[in-house]
Amino acid sequence: MSVHEDADPLMHPEVQQSSVFGYLSGYAVTVLLLLLSMYITIAHMLPPIPLLGVLSGLALVILIAQAFLFFGLDFSQHHIWKSLSIILTVPLFILSIGLTVWMFHSLDGLTMMPDMPGMSMQPTLLQ
Amino acid sequence: MDAQVPRDGKLPPLWHYGHEGHDEISTKTLGFWLYMISDSLIFGGLFAAYGVLDQPMSFAGGPGPAQIMHPVAAFGQTLAVLTSVLAYSLGTLAMKTNNKAGVLLGIVGAMVLAVIFLGLEFNDFAVLYAHGATLQRSGFLAAFFILIATHGLHMMFGLLWMAVMLVQVGRYGLSKEIVMRLLNLRLFWQFQASVWVCVYIYVYLRGTFS
Repeated sequence: MSVHEDADPLMHPEVQQSSVFGYLSGYAVTVLLLLLSMYITIAHMLPPIPLLGVLSGLALVILIAQAFLFFGLDFSQHHIWKSLSIILTVPLFILSIGLTVWMFHSLDGLTMMPDMPGMSMQPTLLQ
Repeated sequence: MDAQVPRDGKLPPLWHYGHEGHDEISTKTLGFWLYMISDSLIFGGLFAAYGVLDQPMSFAGGPGPAQIMHPVAAFGQTLAVLTSVLAYSLGTLAMKTNNKAGVLLGIVGAMVLAVIFLGLEFNDFAVLYAHGATLQRSGFLAAFFILIATHGLHMMFGLLWMAVMLVQVGRYGLSKEIVMRLLNLRLFWQFQASVWVCVYIYVYLRGTFS
């Protein structure tokens, strides 16, 4: 497995790992699933909360497909540390984004007066 | 001291004098991978801020997401960034056959598409500014512009990096140093596609319903 100083850099697994088929399928999966996301959004097929759930599911599928097909992640000796580091980072994303949004969302519910003037203000631009 | 000398008289190896066989390409790509993960946490912070400010109080009487998001128009940007990533990725495949011209062609294609992406984005911003939807207008717009512009800034630095690689590949060929830089740039560029997927879904599509 070890690659020595004088080895041909073009024979390195990092160079040799990928394929035309892998990149084209990663591209196709991303474009098609984003088109599907756009379609179900602009066709108003679902109420907001279920729609957000479906879109998040599609985003997750796209990102997992990209992890395999673009970044070439797997659990082989060559890629295991990349895979592990991203897997260990996912909870940090969920905690930082999810908890922040949840905290402020609850805070609004607890502190907002029912008839705050700002709440009833209508957008005045770009109508 | 006797305890350390084995019976056959040979000293145990304390260290290797020769090259240890560290895989330099893998070490550098892993290092850059970890950097990209820290970079993605910046986007995590910006998405968190956007999620917090994406509510009527933060519109401050200005436009909300439904007024400024156009998912069909933004799909043009989506196609530009994804096709740019595809072009660069296919370009790096030419390294497998030591095809320098293929690498250069992939980089040029990726640069053209990245310029189209940035052009669409600047145009988008210009239209919003012309309607008074500026960075200073509301907390929501500040979060929106900073999130989108941070991604755009990444695209600009990617373009700069590609321009440098065009020169270096042309000058030095596919040497080990150049291969490492091309691989790291591929990681950086593919990462922009992943970030854009989140931007498109959680900003442009999410903005059309509430």
